[in-house]
Amino acid sequence: MSAHAVSFSSVEKTYKRPGFLGAAYTTAVKDLSFEIPAGEITGLLGLNGAGKTTIMKLLTGLIFPTAGKVKVFGHSPAEGAAKARVGFLPELPYFPPHLRPVEALGYYGRLSGLSGPALAQAVRAAMDRTGLEPHAGKRISEFSKGMLQRLGLAQALLHSPDLLVLDEPVSGLDPLAIHDIRGLLAGLNSEGRAVFLSSHSISEVEKLCSRVLIMVKGRLAATVKRSQWEAAQGGLEAIFVEAVR
Amino acid sequence: MKSIGVFFAVAANSFYESVRQRFFLLFAVFAFTAIYASVLAGVMAVDQEARVLADFGLALMELTALAYALFTASSVLLREAETKTIYLVFSRPVPRWAYLGGKLCGALLTAALMLAVMGAMHLTLLALRGFGLPPCYAWAVLGSFLKLAVITSSAFFISLFSTSAVSTMVISGILWTAGHFVSEAGFLAERAQGAAALALKAVLWLIPNLQLFNARDAAGAACALPPLAFAAAAAWTLGACLSALWLLSRKEF
Repeated sequence: MSAHAVSFSSVEKTYKRPGFLGAAYTTAVKDLSFEIPAGEITGLLGLNGAGKTTIMKLLTGLIFPTAGKVKVFGHSPAEGAAKARVGFLPELPYFPPHLRPVEALGYYGRLSGLSGPALAQAVRAAMDRTGLEPHAGKRISEFSKGMLQRLGLAQALLHSPDLLVLDEPVSGLDPLAIHDIRGLLAGLNSEGRAVFLSSHSISEVEKLCSRVLIMVKGRLAATVKRSQWEAAQGGLEAIFVEAVR
Repeated sequence: MKSIGVFFAVAANSFYESVRQRFFLLFAVFAFTAIYASVLAGVMAVDQEARVLADFGLALMELTALAYALFTASSVLLREAETKTIYLVFSRPVPRWAYLGGKLCGALLTAALMLAVMGAMHLTLLALRGFGLPPCYAWAVLGSFLKLAVITSSAFFISLFSTSAVSTMVISGILWTAGHFVSEAGFLAERAQGAAALALKAVLWLIPNLQLFNARDAAGAACALPPLAFAAAAAWTLGACLSALWLLSRKEF
């Protein structure tokens, strides 16, 4: 396994918005270089518009860099070899409301290349792991926000990825759901999987992550290790506030 | 091999979603209109009732399936991007050709099933009125399906650069209409002169000749669709798919 799950090297992403009087360009991230070590939980903090979601999309191959290189386990994120090792949970994932969780997971499992008994086993394991098993008979339209988030995590886990990319995984959840998801992520990490998560909740990131990247206006303002924020007065929050001011 | 499995998974999902959503509403509209028309035709068509009922039914079947196909092709990518379901698809090892091909295949399977069910309803209605199987009926339905294949794949292509589902439907609808007047446009192009002739001839290259698929336009036993019709349908569908794939492979979400 590569020592780094992800590496960004001088990455820039500029969005082009076609308009009536010519295109408008917005640079979302610029001169961005960092690595995400394999097997670690890395957090991504930043204010709205700092470039967090752009980074997530770049490393899942949903968008392409304007300049620089992104590598996921040594491959371009657009390659199947990279995508096969990544599980992605976007912010507020949507699932067809008339489906049952097993049906939705079955479809996403097939898209991940699973079939037959391996697919059935993967769906069962993902449901069990995310605590959806008791709700297997319900339709997704009956799901609470917390259950939808669990389903989102379940679809990301189906193909046993080595890297989980989670965009705001605890956004809007109640304390019990947050507690459960935190436990789930810690368990996944203990199996050697890398987790890369973005969040607005500094306290959650502080509890889970061993390293945090702080983004300010599309640039990496600071990389902070757990030992650093544990030693700092005011913890990670003080470091974050200092960085974004 | 995994890509083929992904292709079938997308096609099956697309088919299931289409059948579940608007299938029966369109059938109800078709059945109501066809029954109403048959009552009117009985009064107005005098001794040509069988012919009028057959032609009207076939045209209605084609238009109903066209409405479904255009709606699906113009909205599916847009809707998946808006709901972010596309993130869960393209963050997986899903080749874009398998996604696009699967969506098109699912839409065409649904259209084929629609034509089959509406055809059965239509023939039942004709039988109830005391008429048998109209001549060239199967060829006419097959011709409608070939037209749908061409227009649906074109609509997928148009949806990838169009700004809204409505504009995709309008452009595709214009293409479908213009495709039924290619001979007439060709005649005009021959008569035109200078830049107008060149422009008209250039435009004609971009418009599929849907008149090739009108089986019942030919008289008697000659109604069987010629091999050229199948080759033209395959060429237009493949061309539209490859163009759509070229755009989709560059598209960001």
